[in-house]
Amino acid sequence: MRLPHCFFIVSLLFALGVKAQKKQILYDFNEIPQSLSLNPGVESDFKWFAGVPLLSGIFGYAGSNGISVHDIFADDGIDINLKFRERALNELSPRDEFSSTVQVEYLTGGFRDENPNLFYSFGGYLELDNIAYWPQDYAFLIFDGNADQLGRRYDLNDLKTRGSLVNVLHFGVNKKIDRNLTIGARGKIYSSIVDYSSTSNKGYLRNIEGQNNLIATNLDADLLLRTSGLQDLDAANDGDSLTSEIISRALFGGDLGLGVDLGFTYHLNERIIVTGSLLDVGFIYHSSDPKNYSLDGSTTVEGVEIDIVENFANLDRDFWQDLVDKVETAVPFDTDYDSYITFRPTKLYTSIRNDFGEPVDGDGQQNCDCTPGSFSTGELRAKYRNSFGGQIYMINRPRGPQMALTGFYTRRIGNILAIKGTYTVDKFSYTNVGLGMNLQAGPLNFYIMADNLLSYNNIADANSASFQFGLNIISWGLNW
Amino acid sequence: MRGTYVFCLVFFGFLMVTSCSESQDFDQIDDLNITPSYEASIFYVKAQETLINRVAGQSFFTQDFNFDAFEEPFFTKRVLSGVLTYELENTTSKPIEIRLEFLDGNENVIDTEVFSMDAAPTSILSRNVAYGPTGKSLDIIKTTSKIRLTAINLGDNNSESNLPDPAIELRSSAEFTLEL
Repeated sequence: MRLPHCFFIVSLLFALGVKAQKKQILYDFNEIPQSLSLNPGVESDFKWFAGVPLLSGIFGYAGSNGISVHDIFADDGIDINLKFRERALNELSPRDEFSSTVQVEYLTGGFRDENPNLFYSFGGYLELDNIAYWPQDYAFLIFDGNADQLGRRYDLNDLKTRGSLVNVLHFGVNKKIDRNLTIGARGKIYSSIVDYSSTSNKGYLRNIEGQNNLIATNLDADLLLRTSGLQDLDAANDGDSLTSEIISRALFGGDLGLGVDLGFTYHLNERIIVTGSLLDVGFIYHSSDPKNYSLDGSTTVEGVEIDIVENFANLDRDFWQDLVDKVETAVPFDTDYDSYITFRPTKLYTSIRNDFGEPVDGDGQQNCDCTPGSFSTGELRAKYRNSFGGQIYMINRPRGPQMALTGFYTRRIGNILAIKGTYTVDKFSYTNVGLGMNLQAGPLNFYIMADNLLSYNNIADANSASFQFGLNIISWGLNW
Repeated sequence: MRGTYVFCLVFFGFLMVTSCSESQDFDQIDDLNITPSYEASIFYVKAQETLINRVAGQSFFTQDFNFDAFEEPFFTKRVLSGVLTYELENTTSKPIEIRLEFLDGNENVIDTEVFSMDAAPTSILSRNVAYGPTGKSLDIIKTTSKIRLTAINLGDNNSESNLPDPAIELRSSAEFTLEL
């Protein structure tokens, strides 16, 4: 396989694997049970709900803030080499990222306690995520090389990537404290199937004028790639037992970790509500199958150097091999099997919402006596036909936190349909318009949402896009 | 209910009608050329005048040096062209001839570079030798396994230069373009 193919396949894998878990449409969309996954302290009015296995929550995202598929692969007659140089090599910086997330919820449900102020939820989902930043100086070295670049320092820190495939099992409690405040917490057990990370690289490569010879090459490297699970999966693949190995590692046979989600909803008054949540405060201890690769040290070489007087008695020795040995000693490439810890990418959501318009009326749950307010106090928290507000989303990333701002409007049509529109600004786009719909047909709940809709006329030109849909069965304690 | 029906039609209709992509040609990837050029020093040899004066006869030094750099499969499979740059400095009191012979695995001489320099004071001799489409055959580079260095004293064995640390110094670097 030619290296260009390898390079692009790796890039594609990065892009398919990165993590941008922004779910701005689902957040605070209380009609959907999965909104609990983004805020365990959401106000819920369900008696119980059960997600349709494997169909209750499917989420996919891929994004690159600096370049799109269309930029490179558009069938526009322009030489791909020119496009790549002008749109990638000369444009992207180490802060530009390629990211993607796939989440498949295979089990989810929730039920209300005998104490109606308590609601329990549980479930499990698989999450594949990766993030890679544009390795700018590595790209220059690969595409241009270091010729005629005396004094230029190629920064080895430009390599930052991480990714994982994790099975997450969770159990959460949602408690209505009083009429105004609802809080929630969820514990998580992570079972990591495979993980890799290379996020703390340092060093440089540089050619300068030599002392003896024409060029001196400086290499100062502190590179580390940590992996876990790859060896087991590779061995299982050779033995045709890959599926069973993945299942085994997903069900506590791999690396384990713990985490917690916290959240709240608070009514400032009848119509103004603030919410917040902190998700994935946790870690995974990678001990089952770790393998780490490092390149650490520094050296300067000026080629094979032979001072005949100094080496007169030993001129038959292999100077080339001596040079190779010198470099390998000074900058050893090592492998170890040490366990390591990774911290989950913690996410923060917060929102303020203003409800307005008429309370939702007509047939359905809102007029029954089963909303959260009714359980303990007999007071109903009415849902209103309209809501608007703003949300902030932050996620911890290898190059620091990232933020997104979202404005939203929600319209409820009876108790059957709710529609939420969003406008989001983040590093990927200033024109991200999203739309979500929740449909309640009797006990059957169906939702679908997608963002970056304006890019759908040419999806290949989008810098990011996400979708989510799911199917649940919900009961409010009525006789459906 | 009718409103719901209409909305669903509109929502999915919008996505289906607008969800499209301009024509993409992923086969372009086959046309992507990655041809970087890398540069580094190759070898540096220094022979002091004191050594030259000690050796009787014209040829005061002959030695074969193993040089496997060009034989690395990664390199030989991908090299497209290259330039070897030499710089010879003579601060001794003697005219000197340096002969570089490139040897293959069977120790056959496949290329030779000869440098002649007057006695000091003289300017530095620089030479670029191209290999590939615009120069010598690339096979010379690909099959080079050893380099034989022969230094010949074309002067006497007793004069001494008044320059500091008089010596013959051969510096060299290589720039190669590879196809990755």
